[in-house]
Amino acid sequence: MRGSRALSLAPARSLAGPRLRTTLTAYLFLAPALVLLGAFTFAPLAFGTLLAFADYNVLAPPRWVGAENFRTLARDPAFWVALRNSLRYLLVVPAIQVAALALALLVNRRLPGITLFRAAYYVPVITSFAVAGLMWNWMYAQHGVVNWVGLRLGLLARPFDWLNHPTLALYAVMLVTFWKGIGYYMVLYLAGLQAVPQELLEAARVDGAGRVQAFLLVTLPLLRPTLLLCTLLSTLAAVKVFEEVYVMTGGGPFGQTTTALLYVYQKAFQEFRFGLAAAAGLFVAALGLGLSLLYVRLFREGGLRPW
Amino acid sequence: MRRTLGIAIASLLLTASVQAGAPEIRLEFWTISLRPFFTDYITELARTYERQNPGVRVRWVDQPVGAVVQKLLGSLAAGTPPDVVNLNVPMTAELAQQGGLFPLGDLLRPEDRDRYFEGMLRSFEIAGKLYGLPWYVAPPVVAYHVGIWRRAGLDPDRPPRTAEELVAYAKRIKDRTGLYGFMPNVDGTNLLQRFQEAGLPILAGGRAVFHSDRHVRELERWVRLFRQDYFPEETLRRGYLGATERYTAGQLGMLITGPQFLLRVRHDNRAVYDQTRVGPYPLDRGRVIHAPLMGLAVPRTTRHPREAVRFALYVTEDRNQLAFCRIVTIFPTTKAAARDPFFTRLPPKPTPEDHARVLDARQLPYARDLTVVVPHQGELMKAFRDNVEAAFFGRKTPKQALDDAVRFWNARL
Repeated sequence: MRGSRALSLAPARSLAGPRLRTTLTAYLFLAPALVLLGAFTFAPLAFGTLLAFADYNVLAPPRWVGAENFRTLARDPAFWVALRNSLRYLLVVPAIQVAALALALLVNRRLPGITLFRAAYYVPVITSFAVAGLMWNWMYAQHGVVNWVGLRLGLLARPFDWLNHPTLALYAVMLVTFWKGIGYYMVLYLAGLQAVPQELLEAARVDGAGRVQAFLLVTLPLLRPTLLLCTLLSTLAAVKVFEEVYVMTGGGPFGQTTTALLYVYQKAFQEFRFGLAAAAGLFVAALGLGLSLLYVRLFREGGLRPW
Repeated sequence: MRRTLGIAIASLLLTASVQAGAPEIRLEFWTISLRPFFTDYITELARTYERQNPGVRVRWVDQPVGAVVQKLLGSLAAGTPPDVVNLNVPMTAELAQQGGLFPLGDLLRPEDRDRYFEGMLRSFEIAGKLYGLPWYVAPPVVAYHVGIWRRAGLDPDRPPRTAEELVAYAKRIKDRTGLYGFMPNVDGTNLLQRFQEAGLPILAGGRAVFHSDRHVRELERWVRLFRQDYFPEETLRRGYLGATERYTAGQLGMLITGPQFLLRVRHDNRAVYDQTRVGPYPLDRGRVIHAPLMGLAVPRTTRHPREAVRFALYVTEDRNQLAFCRIVTIFPTTKAAARDPFFTRLPPKPTPEDHARVLDARQLPYARDLTVVVPHQGELMKAFRDNVEAAFFGRKTPKQALDDAVRFWNARL
């Protein structure tokens, strides 16, 4: 009797033991990352969410105001201008993806000095926004090189301050974002291209596919994970663009280049309305999340599963 | 022998423990953009204070001008604020209104207050309380490029004497040389100061009143000059920094700025500096000149308010202010220091800075920090700036812009 019970329990114990150990080990490995994420991501997120419903200026304790901050945002035309500018900024996304992919294709070959080219395109990525902003500030200035070239080519009637133009300033800053980001995405695409199995491309060519057909029918589908990653990253970067606008235009003239995150900064650090800033920040986060989900869904419909 | 050794060790340990237990106050002192030009001065200032006040240690931190408020706010929130911080009047007003600064009134003796020019001290009074000690002031001068003036047919010995003449000179330079004549101080919220220099009020009975016909005409005048391309578009975006850069590049006829920026011209382009002369900033109908004022404030949560105020008094005392004025063309905020012959006599071979010093000293009676201090400072100033910029870019008429700004202000005041 005793022996039979021991026999019947033995397999269960032997299964539960390793499974528990495996689970514990896994969580033990995860623990440092979870602690860090909790402290530096989830706790500030929770605090920020709470703050969105409070009146807070850092120096006095927060005061609960319910949905008042969201009502203020809805009534503030400057917020809608900022949001519109952030959505306009999404124009950078397709441009930077196409250009980065084209560049990656260009440098994905065995040519003498190609490493130098790859590195050269990556230099803007590692240049700080302060330096890049200052440099482009001079280039866009009335006596800067952009106006000089424009005048020489007869494209401009007179020099003007590109970063102070109510309509063009935002696009001028977008160009800097494009210039600065292209190398980053190029490297990602280059990694994706180098992971494409050569035998598949060779098989396609044996079957009579030309270069363009091989790219469209073999390379591009295999690049979909990279495309999704790059599009997601650049979309999120566009929605929360801040540094380049702050350094180059400060949001002016008359708020025409203010983006959503710059609006958050202005409310928090120039007007000390941290509750309102948190509410606007939540809105930006929700926008980024919504766009991310949309992209993932779009790419999945295009055939994510066979990947 | 063993006993002697024991006594020696015991007394050494006792001395060490007494030293370790000696009270030591650490004061953190923040300045704005004083590195690298004034590193020696500030370091020596701090070391002398430490020598004079055993038990006090001063840690100097220099912050960039664009980040000092944010950094101060961050340090206040984190509970690690500096003890003494260099702020200008707008920054002091913003932080004092948020409850971030320590009111200094109770810690000052009447004789301490009497040392300063009354108007300058009062610039740091917000809602009836004093939040800062004035440190240094820099009324503007007109620096001009002799070569450009000659090309424009202007006499370098005859700088502009009135506000109208200044504009006329600038137009002539642009018309005759193709180079811009000036970059006037109309960027950001500087137009509020221009209004006051022109004798126009900003507030009356706690309400904004800067939308009268005279205010509108003043704004119209600047908008017209802007549209006629008599000053560069960059003026509105880059202000005095842009002006200093353009002047330093030899591309601007006149530089209207605090004389301390001549140091930058000298440092960056000696050829332009050698062509530079200095004239007074012309008085307008208001008989007052906006002179940006720097002060020292004490954050509310400092652990050593008394010691912080003592240090701020030390930094702003006559001798130390004079020493600072001798290395850069700024002016003292104490009456005794301003009486020093250094501000009235030219040396045998005067430099543009020497001329600026003597000229500016004569203008000190007209100098005030004309920053308008209002509740919700940041929000109201942004509304003013946005509306005025909309007028410059033709999105609003000057009247519409000022009406809108006044309406916004009065709804929040």
